[in-house]
Amino acid sequence: MTSTWQALFSIDQAIDHPVVRIVGLTTVSAILLGLAAAWLLGQKKPDLARDIRTRTLTWIALSLLTLGPILAGRAWAILLVCVLSLACYREFARATGLFRHTLASASVVLGILAITFTHIDNWPGLRTGLIAYVPLLILIGAILQDEPKGYVQRCALACSAFLLFGVGLGRLGTLTATVEYRAVLCAIIFSCQLSDVAAYCCGKAMGGPKLFPQTSPNKTLAGHLGALLIITPLSAGLYHLAFAGTPIAAWPHAITLGLLTAALAQLGDLVIGSIKRDVGVKDMGAILPGHGGVLDRCNSLLLVAPIVYHYANYFAGPEIWIPQRLITGGVP
Amino acid sequence: MSKWEFRPARDQALSPAAQAISSVREPGLVSTLGVAISTTLSLTYLKLYHGYRAHGVEHLPTQTPFVLVANHSSHLDHACLRNALPLSLRVRTMPLAAGDVFFTSAVKAAMATRLIGALPMWRKKVGPKALAELRERLEARDVGFVLFPEGARTRDGQLLKLKAGIGMLVAGLDVPVVPAWIDGAFHALRPETWVPRPVRVNVRFGPALRFPTASNDREGWEQVLTDVEAAIKALRPQA
Repeated sequence: MTSTWQALFSIDQAIDHPVVRIVGLTTVSAILLGLAAAWLLGQKKPDLARDIRTRTLTWIALSLLTLGPILAGRAWAILLVCVLSLACYREFARATGLFRHTLASASVVLGILAITFTHIDNWPGLRTGLIAYVPLLILIGAILQDEPKGYVQRCALACSAFLLFGVGLGRLGTLTATVEYRAVLCAIIFSCQLSDVAAYCCGKAMGGPKLFPQTSPNKTLAGHLGALLIITPLSAGLYHLAFAGTPIAAWPHAITLGLLTAALAQLGDLVIGSIKRDVGVKDMGAILPGHGGVLDRCNSLLLVAPIVYHYANYFAGPEIWIPQRLITGGVP
Repeated sequence: MSKWEFRPARDQALSPAAQAISSVREPGLVSTLGVAISTTLSLTYLKLYHGYRAHGVEHLPTQTPFVLVANHSSHLDHACLRNALPLSLRVRTMPLAAGDVFFTSAVKAAMATRLIGALPMWRKKVGPKALAELRERLEARDVGFVLFPEGARTRDGQLLKLKAGIGMLVAGLDVPVVPAWIDGAFHALRPETWVPRPVRVNVRFGPALRFPTASNDREGWEQVLTDVEAAIKALRPQA
């Protein structure tokens, strides 16, 4: 049994795993490529060059802010997921208008913080309970204002937000309880970001009928399928390495998980896209120059993180999880 | 089935830097918490160090929208006015603070917005268009403002000539304008110093004024200015 301190803060073997190295090197290469492209295009197409440079600079910041905590230690990775959940929730709340309802909004934030505690402690039992308690808290708390007009809307928005960002995105934090969490997290995040790029490129490159013309007028069916075909094997390969030594590393499992990842990454993008079109905003935020909001970057993770968690938990069994509750003690 | 009305935050599409100095900024959880804590602390300070008392609280508004106006002689003034309100209204009150003083750097803007919940008023650019966004906030009925019509702190204790901003803001709107006189703040924290002296500070509120029929032009603004100035002066304690 490792000590709590070691489990949460150890930086040993941070870059030993092959998945971490692959992801790290590819990210650095892509950034250098982006910078080179911006420099080369500087004279001929200054607008495009500036766009590429802005996006690449933001990518540098995003990569450091994401990979840094993941490599630094479990506690930092969990904190990263907490910050991402809160940032995504904030953008969702400000886009839908839920932020004006202080009580409902605060309930979601408390729910996210409680989920974060269950990640630090590695206590799945409490997490399962929270999935029931927090919506209950939201429903009951919203009565206290004695304002029934808009009750359904604010409760529905708050519960959905908690499930999407607290529980769904939070599954990334749950996955930090795996023994090789760095590899698993890198595999998921990298697959999702690559899926965004592939979907964008394939969507632009391939013509034909649109899959969901009302929701996503720029993406063609061929583009979706193209991205699916590219990401599935890449993702499967990363999972094969990340889950090495467990039943999921077998190729049938790895490919299934890769296919699920590729499909759900695009569907997560469409979920947020549908929300944006319903509400009537162009981006979920403006905090990332060239990319929009944090939620615009994380939308593919929303559905992929839960599916990887459930798939791994079901097929790989207990051996991938660390065996103790780190703070409250006992068996998870 | 009728469509649900979604109202994204008015500043939703702005970058964080633009949000901080925007007149359409809408406060969220962090600002609400920051204002709740900072106003509780400043109220405690005012009561303990300056024996702060508020008179005429029956004239205070019980709901948004509203505009609190008073004489301006020190940096304590915002707190003196706003802290007379209950907490539930305090967090929905947005002081209109001088843009060229409180919003000049990112750090200052962040503090002004998160701790005080202030909105910038650019003194060099006051005109009907610049105030249109603030007027719209009042019409939407979800905020109250704190505004000092003199536009600057008096240097000698006498009431300065009122600027037209208050007129441009409320002329033609049925929004209560509650006048007040802040007594003692000039001596407690003079404009040229940062060290407050333990001088007693009182606030006296008067009956609300409304200008629903005033025209939104120079004539209407003049009428608003005259009435507001008379109301504020009427609250000054007789020497």
